[in-house]
Amino acid sequence: MSRTSVEWVNGPQLPVTHYVDSRIYTDEQIHREEIEKIFNKIWLIACHESEVPNAFDFRTFMHPSGRSLIVIRGGDMTIRSFYNTCSHRGNTLLQQPSGNAKQITCVFHHWSYDATGACVGIPRDKAGYGTRLCKENVGLREVKTAVAYGGFIWVNIDDRCEPLQDFIGNAFEDLKMEISHPLEVFHYHQAVIDTNYKLWHDTNRELYHDYMHYHNRLTGLSQKGYFDRVFHTYPNGHVQLDSMEIQYQAYAGKQRSLAWPGATKACHKLIDIFPGTTFILRAPSFRVDTMTPLGANKVLIEFRGIGLKADTPEERAERVREHNALWGPFGLNLHEDLLANEMQTRAMRDGAEHSYVLHAREENNTTHDEIGMRQYYAEWGRRMGRPPYDPYGKRIAAAS
Amino acid sequence: MLDELNFAGYLDLCAPQFRYRIFAHSPELGKDMLWKDLDKEEMKHHFELIPKHVRDMSSVMRFPTVYTISYSDDGRQATAVSGLQVFKTKLNGGDTKLFGVCRMRDVIDLHGKLPRLLSREVRMETRQLGTGTQIPF
Repeated sequence: MSRTSVEWVNGPQLPVTHYVDSRIYTDEQIHREEIEKIFNKIWLIACHESEVPNAFDFRTFMHPSGRSLIVIRGGDMTIRSFYNTCSHRGNTLLQQPSGNAKQITCVFHHWSYDATGACVGIPRDKAGYGTRLCKENVGLREVKTAVAYGGFIWVNIDDRCEPLQDFIGNAFEDLKMEISHPLEVFHYHQAVIDTNYKLWHDTNRELYHDYMHYHNRLTGLSQKGYFDRVFHTYPNGHVQLDSMEIQYQAYAGKQRSLAWPGATKACHKLIDIFPGTTFILRAPSFRVDTMTPLGANKVLIEFRGIGLKADTPEERAERVREHNALWGPFGLNLHEDLLANEMQTRAMRDGAEHSYVLHAREENNTTHDEIGMRQYYAEWGRRMGRPPYDPYGKRIAAAS
Repeated sequence: MLDELNFAGYLDLCAPQFRYRIFAHSPELGKDMLWKDLDKEEMKHHFELIPKHVRDMSSVMRFPTVYTISYSDDGRQATAVSGLQVFKTKLNGGDTKLFGVCRMRDVIDLHGKLPRLLSREVRMETRQLGTGTQIPF
């Protein structure tokens, strides 16, 4: 039976943990609050250590706060991060996404900094500043940095943040062996999508949408053991799904020969880190998604394809081929996911009446259970101080 | 041919030893990436899979500009270097936007009755393709 306007906006007759108000995906005020309360206080992946292999190699990273960061390996091989902002007049120091710089010199007035963030050069400093300003007091703003969990470089702009290990907890336990090998990024591309970052991450947290993917229907959904996988939840909103063996032959006619060390052949593993990082091993391919919200309805997603540093050229070629067949910009699966997210957002923002998005499947935490999203929104609500099912507190107020 | 989704017609223009590759340089990684590498059989298989997958129903038009054509000494092969602009038009409303630009290097076999494409190498200038596409450029 169809519903009236009142029935539509009144929400479903489900526990409040099992749905969210769609305005958490479209409200710009909520987006700004998320940046302040979540992204400015949380550990995020900026890049991978293989992107800065040599002393003085750097990468720049656009933090969700809007700040550009420099991630640079020092002469002592320690990786540090700084605001990509000159202490003098606030100019952007490095324009390039990557490079090598023993000294970072601002193009504007030639103030320069070393890879520890110390200011090492101010043209005509004594003539202009006398003793009123000295180089020691105008170093770069350093950002907390840690290299961990497969050699990824994590940053946190909150000086008072908890250690990365406390934030992650045991969430990588199931992938510990697989990411213990030295890794290397072989693929990188970005996608700016007209959707909310949470909708993208939702897609990575539930497998019910395997019905959309022709590939996944054949290689997973219709295969033995698919529905036996269990989601495991961890503190701080992280989730991990038990592995299974992908039956590639059902789609492409032959099973994959190349495996991932520490994992079974053609295994599929999934780990989601709050608020928007996903590790997906679909042997022989390994993908890591990170994202930067650009607004309530826009997100920048960074896709990385990962190989083993020890790969032979033949092994690497196979990983690249398999990765791109599904997950490259010309791949068959990634396009489907991104398209679905844009369509979701279109539906949510076009209407005058908000809707509710369900996370209500309960199947003993197995493959199509939506516990991953319920876990996410519990954490989101905790950090935001807003219940996701009633973000403006109107239903609570009406009930009291 | 690809604009009309005439995959069979496209393959008819390709020699049996056809190879299709898409490269993109990543300034982020400081290296070239290979985004697609298919021989004729693999391309055929890829084309067969496309209708089974969900895809953006926007239409896509390719506008090549041929820069140079050179011939092998024996005149049996030609190499064409082109620029390519690809535009996407939304099914709903008909809004057209530039989707991507790239360079193409085609090697064409002139030996037989009809010219056949031996290889197409696409060098992407655009790396940010939004939702992407399953259909090669």
